Amino acid sequence: MNRRDFLKGLLSTSYVVISGASVLAPLSALAKSAARINDDWLTTGSHFGAFKIKRKNGVIDQVKPFDSDKYPTDMINGIRGLVYNPSRVRYPMVRLDFLLKGHQSDTTKRGDFRFVRVTWDKALGLFKDSLDQIQTNYGPSALHAGQTGWRATGQLHSSTSHMQRAVGMHGNFVKKIGDYSTGAGQTILPYILGSTEVYAQGTSWPLILEQSKTIILWANDPYKNLQVGWNAETHEAYEYLAQLKQLVKAGKIRVISIDPVATKTQNYLGCEQIYVNPQTDVPLMLAIAHELYTNDLHDKEFIEGYSLGFERFVPYLMGTDDGVEKTAKWAAAITGVNEEVIKDLAATMAGGRTQMLMGWCIQRQQHGEQPYWMAAVLATMLGQIGLPGGGISYGHHYSGIGVPSSGAAAPGGFPRNLDEGKKPLFDNNDFKGASKTIPVARWIDAILEPGKVIDANGAKVTYPDIKMMVFSGNNPWNHHQDRNRMKLAFQKLECVVTVDINWTATCRFSDIVLPACTTLERNDIDIYGSYANRGLLAMQKMVEPLFDSLSDFEIFTRFAALLGREKEYTRGMTEFDWLKKLYNDCKSANDGKFKMPEFEQFWQDGYVHFGKGKVWTRHADFRADPEINPLGTPSGLIEIFSRKIDRYNYDDCKGHPMWMEKSERSHGGPGSDKYPVWMQSCHPDKRLHSQMCESQEYRETYTVKGREPVYLNPVDAQDRGIKDGDIVRVFNDRGQLLAGAVVSDHFPRGVIRIEEGAWYGPVGDDGSVAGGANIGAICSYGDPNTLTQDIGTSKLAQACSAYTCLVNYEKFRGKVPSVSSFNGPIEVKL
Amino acid sequence: MSELNQARNRVYQLLSALFAKEIDPNLRHELISQPAQDFWQQLATQSAFSADVKVIQEALSTLTSQADLLELAADYCGLFLVGSKHSASPYASLYTSESETTIFGEEHQQMMNYLREHQLQLTSDFAEPADHIAVILAYAGHLSLNASEQEQLQFLQRYLASWIEPFVNQVIKTDQGRFYSALARLTSAWLSSEIHWLETAS
Amino acid sequence: MRWLINLWKTLNKPAQYLTLGAVSVTAFLMGVIFWGGFNTVLEATNTEEFCISCHSMQSKPYQELQKTVHWSNHSGVRATCPDCHVPHNWSRKIARKIEASSDVWGWLFNTVNTSEKFEDKRLEMATREWGRFERDDSLACKGCHDYKSMKWDSMSKLAQKQMKRAAERDQSCVDCHKGIAHTLPDIGTARAPELIAEVGTGPSKFDDNAIYFSSLTKPIYLNERTDVEAGTLNIATKVTILATKGSRIKIAIAGWRKKMGAGRVVYLDFGINMLLVQLEKFAALEDGVIVGFEQKEDDLTGLKWQRVEVEVWTDADYLIDQQQPLWDYARTTFRSSCSVCHSQPDEAHFDANTWPGMFQGMIAFVDMDQDTQALVQKYLQQHSSTFVKEKH
Repeated sequence: MNRRDFLKGLLSTSYVVISGASVLAPLSALAKSAARINDDWLTTGSHFGAFKIKRKNGVIDQVKPFDSDKYPTDMINGIRGLVYNPSRVRYPMVRLDFLLKGHQSDTTKRGDFRFVRVTWDKALGLFKDSLDQIQTNYGPSALHAGQTGWRATGQLHSSTSHMQRAVGMHGNFVKKIGDYSTGAGQTILPYILGSTEVYAQGTSWPLILEQSKTIILWANDPYKNLQVGWNAETHEAYEYLAQLKQLVKAGKIRVISIDPVATKTQNYLGCEQIYVNPQTDVPLMLAIAHELYTNDLHDKEFIEGYSLGFERFVPYLMGTDDGVEKTAKWAAAITGVNEEVIKDLAATMAGGRTQMLMGWCIQRQQHGEQPYWMAAVLATMLGQIGLPGGGISYGHHYSGIGVPSSGAAAPGGFPRNLDEGKKPLFDNNDFKGASKTIPVARWIDAILEPGKVIDANGAKVTYPDIKMMVFSGNNPWNHHQDRNRMKLAFQKLECVVTVDINWTATCRFSDIVLPACTTLERNDIDIYGSYANRGLLAMQKMVEPLFDSLSDFEIFTRFAALLGREKEYTRGMTEFDWLKKLYNDCKSANDGKFKMPEFEQFWQDGYVHFGKGKVWTRHADFRADPEINPLGTPSGLIEIFSRKIDRYNYDDCKGHPMWMEKSERSHGGPGSDKYPVWMQSCHPDKRLHSQMCESQEYRETYTVKGREPVYLNPVDAQDRGIKDGDIVRVFNDRGQLLAGAVVSDHFPRGVIRIEEGAWYGPVGDDGSVAGGANIGAICSYGDPNTLTQDIGTSKLAQACSAYTCLVNYEKFRGKVPSVSSFNGPIEVKL
Repeated sequence: MSELNQARNRVYQLLSALFAKEIDPNLRHELISQPAQDFWQQLATQSAFSADVKVIQEALSTLTSQADLLELAADYCGLFLVGSKHSASPYASLYTSESETTIFGEEHQQMMNYLREHQLQLTSDFAEPADHIAVILAYAGHLSLNASEQEQLQFLQRYLASWIEPFVNQVIKTDQGRFYSALARLTSAWLSSEIHWLETAS
Repeated sequence: MRWLINLWKTLNKPAQYLTLGAVSVTAFLMGVIFWGGFNTVLEATNTEEFCISCHSMQSKPYQELQKTVHWSNHSGVRATCPDCHVPHNWSRKIARKIEASSDVWGWLFNTVNTSEKFEDKRLEMATREWGRFERDDSLACKGCHDYKSMKWDSMSKLAQKQMKRAAERDQSCVDCHKGIAHTLPDIGTARAPELIAEVGTGPSKFDDNAIYFSSLTKPIYLNERTDVEAGTLNIATKVTILATKGSRIKIAIAGWRKKMGAGRVVYLDFGINMLLVQLEKFAALEDGVIVGFEQKEDDLTGLKWQRVEVEVWTDADYLIDQQQPLWDYARTTFRSSCSVCHSQPDEAHFDANTWPGMFQGMIAFVDMDQDTQALVQKYLQQHSSTFVKEKH
């Protein structure tokens, strides 16, 4: 048949597709007029800093740093790839088996990733039905909607607030206490120094630069970590680091980095390093204390006037109670630090104004409370707490702590709680004897062992029997430890709901996935500089929400409407009404102190500047008058010995700081004969936790053969026949991953680094790719939490212990599977 | 001639509609109606199309319950709604450029320009980039009635032929069922026949 | 808060020479509601005669003005009411007149027709005028006082520094110069205005032996006359009235202190670090101010504590007869302010002595004045697991 006849034949059937309506329509007048707009630069902000954006035909085209950001991070180059990511959650989706069978679905299939697109009405209806069932069948102890994370910035659309207000209107639920970053630190330090310290404003950098003679960076890499902040980061701290670099060069300040690896900060500053074996910081600190004490270099007057319990610590230090004197020689054997170096270090620290700047990593390990407590004891013995350029800080690497605050009032946010006097639909507070609040990193334990009673911070916690989880702007399949254990736990859940912008591993393990739009697709305001509070930033909408995504405000307003509580939820206000309210409330709080224009002017300018801040010294008020300005400890003084903790009678956190062996430790420690390598999974250099990992073009600036880099010591690598650029299998009994080798002498023998936040992409759950059945799937991209241990730091904090982790690694010689982390859910099979 | 172009347009419209969204009960009903059956039969007279048309017809005839439709919707979702070019995202830009890693890129912009030039836009309930295969097919259908053969040929070669092969391969590789693999192959075969015909004609 | 009080004192000093009387006072423009011939009346309402034709204007603000340099000075230039209080920009002028008509209502309906009522309203009115100056960038001042024409050389070093900084930002004059034309409102009320609006300022007369609670952190004195502060009474603290003399009252506070330092901080109860009173060293050592009773050792810290009673004087204001409104306000503030970054923990999640540490660690993120901070902290302590036994 020739084509003419064929086509005629088609025509004769008279069939024209109708129900599948055309995707094209005549151009409307509105669209005509909107065509080819080339807008001006618009302002917005993010965890990565403030930036400006120019659009082309309604699509984000160019991104450049905000005018006043002198040290922007190149992570803003990843913004486009975040917004226009192929793995955007484009539509509300439901796992097919869940759609068909609801709470009776086969949860072993959670992870077979067969989803279908549904309407918003359908998705939210299912969400509500699931909550109804949970509250009816089990009560509030079966719902955990309190596991929250780093969200995106913006005071109005903050995802956690929306989710918890809306779900809270429906019923009560289990919540968390603490966080993964600083769980041990924020629990122990209130006993010792009277506040969490980790989130407190610190002594201003100008004072440190002016007064310090020595700066100790203890497991601290501010140059890496200050790129991101809780609110839009100003990066002003980099100006001070630049000045510090000059002072180091000129020999005016001595900076010593105490760390197993040569950090980014060390390399930038060109400062000294004292190598210490991983997880042995406490013995090193004890030896310094021993040196100070035995050489009479400790400040007895300060100890006497400002602290309690030194006399109960000395017997331990001198070994009169346990028979082990904590000498430099003793410590040298454990820490790998030469005895003379320890003695010099002690003399240096006591020899002038010394500012200790502690990083957070060393408290994310088993007994992570101890190094923080012992560091506080050292600082007390040095007697410089409360002096400018002296004492101790636990936060100078975070969100611009140490940059002087403007002192202006910051804007509030959308309310997280129900309005005063309002009750949830299911007004049931019967948690069936289980705890309403559980330590943040123990929720997987709870799912696996409901009813179990654990010690936590002086209380007993009874694990609730969790059947349903709700996540919004949070990716626990990044930050929690031990993926294989998480898989077991998730099979026990009846329903998982996740709201996010892109298909994170958490979305993949969910039943209902709801698409939130990115910050560039909605209007919001943010504080410019979490601690600096340098100003207010307009976050102007650049593009309409992509696909069927909605703002957090809109998603949960619709959810509230299903409860008949829409008005109550929004208080009858629109997005812009809220922005004006938040702005105007802030304006009146700053009335007479900081000038703020009318909202419309602010919105047009994109920014209000509050001006520079005043320098300030942490704990100066306490030092000036400890009676009037006591610390928040039980005694009001620094507690070298805590009777309160002592009374808990914990075997893993006693009355004073001490050295306790870890369950796994490299360099001759337990387990190192089988798995000789310590893996550090620090905060990433090129991401904010797992945010930005999916931005492919930017990711490819640092990946190795498409994999997350694993940093290896040259000699260790050579021993294993590994060259830079090879694909490496890293493994232990808990799991395995593939990563790309970066061989660098910044890393010592027996130590590797894989930065957390690498997206989980399991392949071959039967161990068929490598490793065998016992070890399960291999992560094709390099998520280090496939390998970490899911144990609490101690009975005190019960925080995460990701840094107590031994592994081994080898050159991968099998057939290399493609990376499955970023391709949407379908390829991933467990 | 214009009559024949009507027929071509109908094929483009049908292919576009099947890529644009999942098959719902209405569309299913329509696709197995007698006129549609005739249409499929007529398509199957061409040997290049017959095998795939057969698969499609069979697949349609087995869609007897809501659950069947959902399974097919899940196939659709896995292929076209959640992934990158490593699944089978239906966006030209992901295939035409090795280095392209985002959607709403250059190809989207160019398609938007084309649509505007022809006084067209995407319907409001189709919130997809303009380089979606459903849009390209629908636009090709529009051209079949409104543009010179030269222009049609250029468009098809530049905006569809350039990436149809890797796209079809991805669909076949990742499809959990058989309907969309057949649809993708059929589309590719239709495109070949169109290009061949347009080349000969012009 | 102290820095603010001190700041006020500093700025208030030149008032003896400069004092013009209260800045504020809106009750001086009447004509707008009796509109009539628009411009004529408008002009008429711009004259000083019109302003002071109202009694409350004549007796208070006008009198106050006459004591200041804005009234009488060696250059003979006098600032009259409309010079400062009627905007120099037409549209704002009209807006201002409409606003001012409420002042007439105020007079008609007796809200400010007595001295007491005027004083009660003084802060509110002043705040409104300050806000207007703020919005206008103190344009009214700048008609005579131009940053550009200032003789920097004839200023003191400190004045130069501060003035130049202000000039750079074209700062509104009343940012610093409040209380230069009329008497400053009682600064106490400028603190935690939302809180005070909620719980009230309390009565001005007190019965002996009655029990009250402080609604602000208040200065205390050793007698009814002195201006020397002897310390502070913490917010939401229970006091018993012992006597009244003039505008001062004598109060008694019962609590416990640690036997350390001068023992000048008094807490709610044995072993519980909830602040009641902080005394200056000299005051704590003064006979009869702190009376000590039995002692006990707290074995959670090893510190010795002593039960005490304190008798001091304070101004007869900001004492209310119920504690609950304070807690209600604090609860709302805690639940809204402390949930911006994270879920706020339940009050009973920590004990009374742990809360200050937790709370102080996070305070950098929260926009609270010092009084509200102190109140919220005390609220958290009062509703902590120490007092509320609830499983959490």
